[in-house]
Amino acid sequence: MTRKVDHRALARQVLRIRIGQLLVNEGLKRQAFAVPLHLALGHEAIAAAVDHVMRPGDQLLLTHRNIHYNLARCASFGAEYGEYLLREDALAGGRLGSMNLSNPDGGIPYASSILGNNLPVAAGMALASDVIGDGAVTFVVTGDGAMEEGAFYESLLFMKSNRLAALIVVENNGWSLATDVDERRCPIALEALASSLAIPYGRLEGGDAIECAGRLDVLRPLAALDRTPVVVEVPLTTLGFWHAPDDRYPSVGRFVNYHHGAAPNAAVSDWPVLVEDDSDPVHLLRSYVPDAWLADTARDLHRSLSEALP
Amino acid sequence: MTTYVEHLNARLVEAVARHDSFVAFGQNIDAGSRLSGLTRGLPCHGRHRVINTPNVENTLVGVGFGLMLRGLAGAFVMKQLDFLLLGVDQIVNTWNVLREQRPTGSFTILAIVVDGGYAGPQSSFNGLYDLCAIARVPGFTVTNRFDIDAVMARHFGAPGFRIITVSERLFRTPLIDWSVGAPVVHGEGEITRYAAGPAATIACCNLSFPKGVALAGALGDRGLTPSVFSINAAHPVDCKPIVDDLRTTGRLVLLDDSKSWNPPYADLLAAAREICGPDRVHLIARGAGELRPNADEFVVPIDWLCRVIAGEPSARAAGY
Repeated sequence: MTRKVDHRALARQVLRIRIGQLLVNEGLKRQAFAVPLHLALGHEAIAAAVDHVMRPGDQLLLTHRNIHYNLARCASFGAEYGEYLLREDALAGGRLGSMNLSNPDGGIPYASSILGNNLPVAAGMALASDVIGDGAVTFVVTGDGAMEEGAFYESLLFMKSNRLAALIVVENNGWSLATDVDERRCPIALEALASSLAIPYGRLEGGDAIECAGRLDVLRPLAALDRTPVVVEVPLTTLGFWHAPDDRYPSVGRFVNYHHGAAPNAAVSDWPVLVEDDSDPVHLLRSYVPDAWLADTARDLHRSLSEALP
Repeated sequence: MTTYVEHLNARLVEAVARHDSFVAFGQNIDAGSRLSGLTRGLPCHGRHRVINTPNVENTLVGVGFGLMLRGLAGAFVMKQLDFLLLGVDQIVNTWNVLREQRPTGSFTILAIVVDGGYAGPQSSFNGLYDLCAIARVPGFTVTNRFDIDAVMARHFGAPGFRIITVSERLFRTPLIDWSVGAPVVHGEGEITRYAAGPAATIACCNLSFPKGVALAGALGDRGLTPSVFSINAAHPVDCKPIVDDLRTTGRLVLLDDSKSWNPPYADLLAAAREICGPDRVHLIARGAGELRPNADEFVVPIDWLCRVIAGEPSARAAGY
């Protein structure tokens, strides 16, 4: 059964994930963290939508770029921030840091820094749900780089062969570190690949939290009721990129894709839009909620999250 | 006459049935010969599952960890240990995260070492030591009635993760049921003592216990009584019971039929050389060239060892 998408609740969640990341980014600029951190600016919409659609008992397995989902599923921003500082009183007691940060109480049992590694573990968790009969759906996040690994195909094959309820969220930002898709491989027709295994496929516009949530409200029951994995491809743009001075590009500079560490040009503020177009999930919220509400909510979140910093 | 694989199968079925819920999975485990009878008759009703899987070894190792994360018990039963190399990412990277969480669920990989001969340089992989060392994974080997009973009862299905290997060579052979007096288990089944005597200390590693029994028999024919131990653990263990025995016998014969350069008994060898002197420590291990298609027989120079242990001067020159 699907729920009505509460625009303001989702918009607030998107803003919270954005502002939380921008506060972490300020820490990165100050070199406050010993652990490597991968921000997910521009990925907030799908994280908020997955959080919206998850039901009690559902599991979510993440990659090294997991900050957006962890922010969505962790009530205490300070507990998560403290983990990046490896504090003993933090979310995982300072034992996991960033790339492996999990939060079992928040439905996140595992996160892996190894491309494709979380998919087989997700297959096992989905099998466990089938054995237990709890009706839960296992969500696993991967990317356009990780789906090049053999584990992606293997896991789809295992999940489908055993009729396991799972949602495989492929965040497709077109980059693997500093190499874009066109530089490293031939195109992958993901829908056709899924179809070859009789796996349902959905494509979500990654910047639009409201649309993502609405579509996931349909796809999660499909996975649960039909006992099938569902591949969900989410094209999105990783923000935080910048242009470095380069004589070859004297007017705009050389494009530098954001991968990890600080995003030097992203700054925390009461109006946290980074790019004034539809590639920015916060900008897209303006199609659904008034600017004044966005501004008020962003200001409140900025204050409350700042106060939660350890 | 009970064979090795029949006894293994009986203990495996018992171990699975002890659980309210258990997932056994792997290729061909519920089809054809059921891995030559190893997985025959596994409980498969209710929350007991037996799953014939696709050929996706890396994923199957991850599946075991996923089941463990949900608090369930599972086992990946493998026809060939060499295919486990395809799951090394999961063994290392996933286990290195989960070990810190002290999981209540259980995951066991039960793999057959293809040591029957003529399998060639790949399929005859006999390197449990290496797999265990790479991520500090507990590992065990079993060769006889006593250690099968001990390891399957204590470790198979217990919380956490381990790898247990069994010998294809022994599958259809009569179950070894040998000891002089009651065997003594040390620790949690890592080391077992099968005989005590003053002539020498024989320590059998990996799957070499049948050779140790043969050596003990040959020594018995000469009126010599050795101590015989099996080191069932593939991870480093406290070898104090063996070291203590060396103080009586003054001689170590260490048998290792693995093909690894990474054995877990370095401390034992060092202690033995100190206690006994280097001339009275004999490591009988695999040599170069044993990866070719051949009978894969672990050759132990039993006659030479008997002459050395008996103190015949002409035997010493050969050296090991």
